[in-house]
Amino acid sequence: MKRLLAIKIILTLFPGFVFAEGEYDLELKDLEKQIEKKPYTFTGYLEYHPILFGLDKNASLYKLRYFDHSLGDTLFQSNGAVWLEGSYTKGIATLFAATKSTYTASSIESRGKTQVYTGYLSLKPSPSLTLDFGKRTMKWGKGYAWNPAAFVDRPKDPDDPELSLEGYVVAAGDYIKSLSGNLKTFSFTPLVMPVFDNINDDFGKIDKVNFAAKAYFLFYDTDIDVMALAGGSKTPRYGFDFSRNIGTNLEVHGEFAYITHVKRTVIEDNGATRQKTFDAVNYLVGLRYLSAQDTTYIFEYYHQGTGFTSQEMKNYFSLIDTGHEDYIVRHNLRKLSRAIALQKGGYAAFTPGTDYLYLRISQKEPFDILYFTPAITSIYNLHDRSFQVTPELLYAPITNLEFRLRTGLLVAGSKNSEFGEKPNDYRIELRMRYYF
Amino acid sequence: MLLSFPVYAIDGNQLLAQIDKNMSPESYETYRKIINIEPDGRKREFTYYTVKKGRDKVAGLFIAPASEKGRTTLRLGDNMWLYVPNVGKPVRITSLQSVVGGVFNNADILALDYAEEYTVEKVEEQGKEYLLSLKAKTKTVAYDRLKMWVQKDRVLPTKIECMTEASMLIKTIYFKDIKDFGGGIVRPAVIETDSPLYKGYKSAMVFAKIKKRDFKDEVFSLTFMPNMESLLK
Repeated sequence: MKRLLAIKIILTLFPGFVFAEGEYDLELKDLEKQIEKKPYTFTGYLEYHPILFGLDKNASLYKLRYFDHSLGDTLFQSNGAVWLEGSYTKGIATLFAATKSTYTASSIESRGKTQVYTGYLSLKPSPSLTLDFGKRTMKWGKGYAWNPAAFVDRPKDPDDPELSLEGYVVAAGDYIKSLSGNLKTFSFTPLVMPVFDNINDDFGKIDKVNFAAKAYFLFYDTDIDVMALAGGSKTPRYGFDFSRNIGTNLEVHGEFAYITHVKRTVIEDNGATRQKTFDAVNYLVGLRYLSAQDTTYIFEYYHQGTGFTSQEMKNYFSLIDTGHEDYIVRHNLRKLSRAIALQKGGYAAFTPGTDYLYLRISQKEPFDILYFTPAITSIYNLHDRSFQVTPELLYAPITNLEFRLRTGLLVAGSKNSEFGEKPNDYRIELRMRYYF
Repeated sequence: MLLSFPVYAIDGNQLLAQIDKNMSPESYETYRKIINIEPDGRKREFTYYTVKKGRDKVAGLFIAPASEKGRTTLRLGDNMWLYVPNVGKPVRITSLQSVVGGVFNNADILALDYAEEYTVEKVEEQGKEYLLSLKAKTKTVAYDRLKMWVQKDRVLPTKIECMTEASMLIKTIYFKDIKDFGGGIVRPAVIETDSPLYKGYKSAMVFAKIKKRDFKDEVFSLTFMPNMESLLK
């Protein structure tokens, strides 16, 4: 009894004193500090990300990117980044902001920039209703590597799908209704996106006000979204997606988009350009499976109706090759300039073709090495049979510190194939990130 | 060695419902630390805020460390999602995955009421404890079978063995340090687990606060996941 009284006195006099919870010492003061609600939040990370590119000097995209540089067999690039993210809440209003400052240095360029990824005011008059005004990402779609139905987001990088994306300036709402029965949740997300000079001007045609909406249903334990975009900056498009768990270790998902009046400038066999207009269907089906050995498999098939056929890609690579020859022999930049201009029309996308397979296999903590996850990822172009393989090692030895070593070592593909014409034969990169 | 006697006078499912009631109120919030302990004694800690409503709605928010801060999890019955602020959208996760590594999986961290997922096949008496044999109601439940030891006087679990259909042991969960959290909530403050599949590793959940609180159903929805921080008081 006296001992208990003594402990009570100590805890009263020294509130930060370690409170022994059985064998788990729980710093009450530390925990209280962590869970104390503040009107503001502030987090971020520091990143150093050196990359060694093994250059393929015969590849078309090497010739396009580095035609005016004299490089060796490799190119070393040093990248640093600071991500800052914060919020301030007063009543029903919260102001969110996230910025990324990057600095890149290599033998051919050094540049730094700061971008505002998100910056918006969010009003939450009730748990059922949210109104957002400002720059934010919407992140529609269920695919892991691609999101054909993400009509109001920037395209994901299938080579690193978890990278943060910069948002667009929107006015958006979210209305949620929870229900009992087979339809458990319904939500509706309408948004308005203006596109003018200096506001969202990389989204599409300027001087337009675009409208988009998404309806979400949790119906029979399946996530279902239906979405649409109209307004003129891009052609009208409609889509849906779904995701569902089948059992304790398998998830299946899919995404579908119908895009009207797609305009594409393509290179004909004779080298002339032609604009074609068509309605296209992009869709994706995929699964995520966790084995009994803690191996996670992510598999996706993606059909990109808006993509370029193998022949169109081949003609594009031929344009670059002849343009490069013109530049070397005659200092004539005309064809290369055409090829650079065409990049914006879709040729510069990481996966510009029509049909792909994606497979990622990751193993949680093999050989009992805690917080270590090796993985291997492959993207395969079904038409030209070229592919990329990316082994990866992720290790977080101490809290808030993470190392990721990736090597795009095996880039395989013949002449005029998509991955065969990438500017690098291999890539070795180390990403060190410290969170605060 | 303790002798087991089958008990026919007790309704096992009613007993299980009472265990659920004693472990947590109908609607509540809780702060806990999830601790992964490595064989060499090194620890990794996560501070996790959870809200629960009814038998099958649970949502959680990671408060620390910085690398996990802002991540939220949601469970509605068999459906589970993880929202990572950088990724920006909720993705479906499965019950056997683990959002924190270590021995606890998602089904342990976002645990529902036992009566929601299991039926009691048999109740036996073992001295001061009951031994309940539980069977999963559906194939979507993380563990096919549970053996649950329950204190007779407090009607609280002391140990659970989680098993496959073929009765292979997956993990053992220990309930320790009964604590008065106030508001009539008296329950174990520590839930510890080890597993023959993770030799030498241990994980624990240490509950610092458990408090009755009502929430709107809309809090337990995908659309609300990025806003969970607004629930903190």
